[in-house]
Amino acid sequence: MTSISSRRLRKELNEIQAEGCPTGITLLSADNFESWFFSIEILGESLYQGEVFKLMFRFDSNYPISAPAVQFVVDEDSTAPVHPHVYSNGHICASILGNEWSPVLSVSAVCVTLQSMLASCKSKERPVDNDRYVRYAPDNPKKTRFHYDGKRSMR
Amino acid sequence: MKVHIKHWSAVAQWRWNTGNTTHDQDDEGDVCGICRVPYEGCCPSCKMPGDDCPLISDDLPFVFVFAFTHARAVVWGECSHVFHMHCLLKWLGTTASKQQCPMDRRAWVTAERKANEPSSTTVS
Repeated sequence: MTSISSRRLRKELNEIQAEGCPTGITLLSADNFESWFFSIEILGESLYQGEVFKLMFRFDSNYPISAPAVQFVVDEDSTAPVHPHVYSNGHICASILGNEWSPVLSVSAVCVTLQSMLASCKSKERPVDNDRYVRYAPDNPKKTRFHYDGKRSMR
Repeated sequence: MKVHIKHWSAVAQWRWNTGNTTHDQDDEGDVCGICRVPYEGCCPSCKMPGDDCPLISDDLPFVFVFAFTHARAVVWGECSHVFHMHCLLKWLGTTASKQQCPMDRRAWVTAERKANEPSSTTVS
């Protein structure tokens, strides 16, 4: 797959490997230009002290024109952080992953934004419609049309 | 004495004047924010240097000359941000772009002339 996305991702990966990830972020795997995994933790004072989460990025061939699909990994080893904008299936309601995505953003920039979203959390709660959303949620969070006021509706 | 010129080759070098005085390779300002490829290179969807997406490389024996006024491969917005034309058009072609500049989310307006014309003293 030689496309815009693979060239841009190769550059991002080179940068990550040369300069390292932002503090608290670790690259777990980037074996192809379709999905990358990172671990993310919040350093310093926060409600998530000592917790480590796993992030999955999925890219389509139009990245960075189209936003990556980003979610927390939920499996035997990892869970999604309890946060008002994070569903228990790992899907994240964050405007920069949806209608505020810009092609000048990058994988690192998204990681840092999610880190600060967690760091600024005041109370560990699930979104109010968590159960209903998770029951019908599509596999790819990009297929959900989130409303960035805490509620969401499905396409 | 009469001299008949049978053949001549013109050699010239060009570089986009993006308003940066330094031409440091690592200078963030010298790469397109969308594809992260230097302005001097062509955008990722182009393979050949040409009028619409010029490319300059050490491997190339020929150097292409373009007058800034005619070159259309790099676009300047009125907000002074610069992108490869193809990269920006791809972005503006999506509904998600809302026709905004990727850098500052202001409505994209292509500048009639580039933001830092050599005669101008404006600094972005």
